[in-house]
Amino acid sequence: MNSKEIKVGIADMKIARREGTLITYALGSCIGITLYDPAIKLAGLLHIMLPEAGNMADMNVYKFADTGIQEMLRKMTAFGGIKRRYQCKIAGGAKMFEMGGAGGIGNIGERNVRSVEAIMRTEQIHIMKKDVGLNYARTMMIDVDTGIVRVRTAGRQEVVL
Amino acid sequence: MRITRYEDMDDTAKDMMREVGSIGTGNAATALSSLLKVEVKMTVPNVEILGYNEAVDSLGHPEDIVSGVLVQMTGDVSGVMLFLMKMDFINEILGCVLQESIDGYEQMGEMEISAATEVGNIIISSYMLSLSKLADMEISLSVPAFSVNMLGGIMTVPMAEFGYVSDKLMMITGRCFIGGKRVESNLLMLPDIQSLNYLMDRLVAPNE
Repeated sequence: MNSKEIKVGIADMKIARREGTLITYALGSCIGITLYDPAIKLAGLLHIMLPEAGNMADMNVYKFADTGIQEMLRKMTAFGGIKRRYQCKIAGGAKMFEMGGAGGIGNIGERNVRSVEAIMRTEQIHIMKKDVGLNYARTMMIDVDTGIVRVRTAGRQEVVL
Repeated sequence: MRITRYEDMDDTAKDMMREVGSIGTGNAATALSSLLKVEVKMTVPNVEILGYNEAVDSLGHPEDIVSGVLVQMTGDVSGVMLFLMKMDFINEILGCVLQESIDGYEQMGEMEISAATEVGNIIISSYMLSLSKLADMEISLSVPAFSVNMLGGIMTVPMAEFGYVSDKLMMITGRCFIGGKRVESNLLMLPDIQSLNYLMDRLVAPNE
């Protein structure tokens, strides 16, 4: 079934058609976003780190939710994807360290989740399923043939999205 | 020299960080040694500028389970310090402090977590103390936070913290020997760019 496994790094995005698996490892506070067009078996997996690019347009677009999703949508369209058919699933956004006191370190995951949800609302893409928050890392993979998304964690049962 | 990104660091800057790291880890080893009552050595650290994915890959597979102690620095230097410990390191500590050993992280109870957190905290604090003395700076450290999880997930915490200023990370890593036995641990010091410039002004410029 999974003849080919394509790894998606941190601040990275890959698209595949018809067969294989797209996988991204150990999402902590980062978010993995899959878009799947079942009509043409087109799958994309994006791994973002931060909620928005602000004025840092010169850097890697896939690092940020806003610029990353824009670029992903553009590429998916170029491969023949139709936005209203997209099935969107997200995973990640955990709080890896419980930091005492103030400081933005602890809640970056939550901000990422909120940002991705807001962007998808604006794009009118419904997030079908999600596995987000809490305090553990997740490995996310999408089967390009079926669009089934699996989330693997340490010491917990695999979740199917 | 002013730098705006980690990858702008030249050899002088890296040497400076290595020197600072060496003094810091020396002190950290001494502190750990007096806690554990065994000889502790840390090698002269390596300073590397790596991309996110390279940084994770250099430490293992992203899904490897590790434990980490994270401390946030504020004051004249701001940033984070992350001390990563693998199972063999945890067991050396538990052997010395609690006279026990465990087979996996899931067996860590409150006592074990507290011992590991304290060791991480001692290493980080003594490291920072020597640095602040050396450069005559005021640095305050947060309460340490402990986590056991996938390496990739733990590493994203410092990464996200610096995501807005750089696509690269600076890792100061060194090997650790407890009682002559080499154990896996990595100390990652991640000052923000402004702090790094400040450090260099303090430590390099006066000697030029």
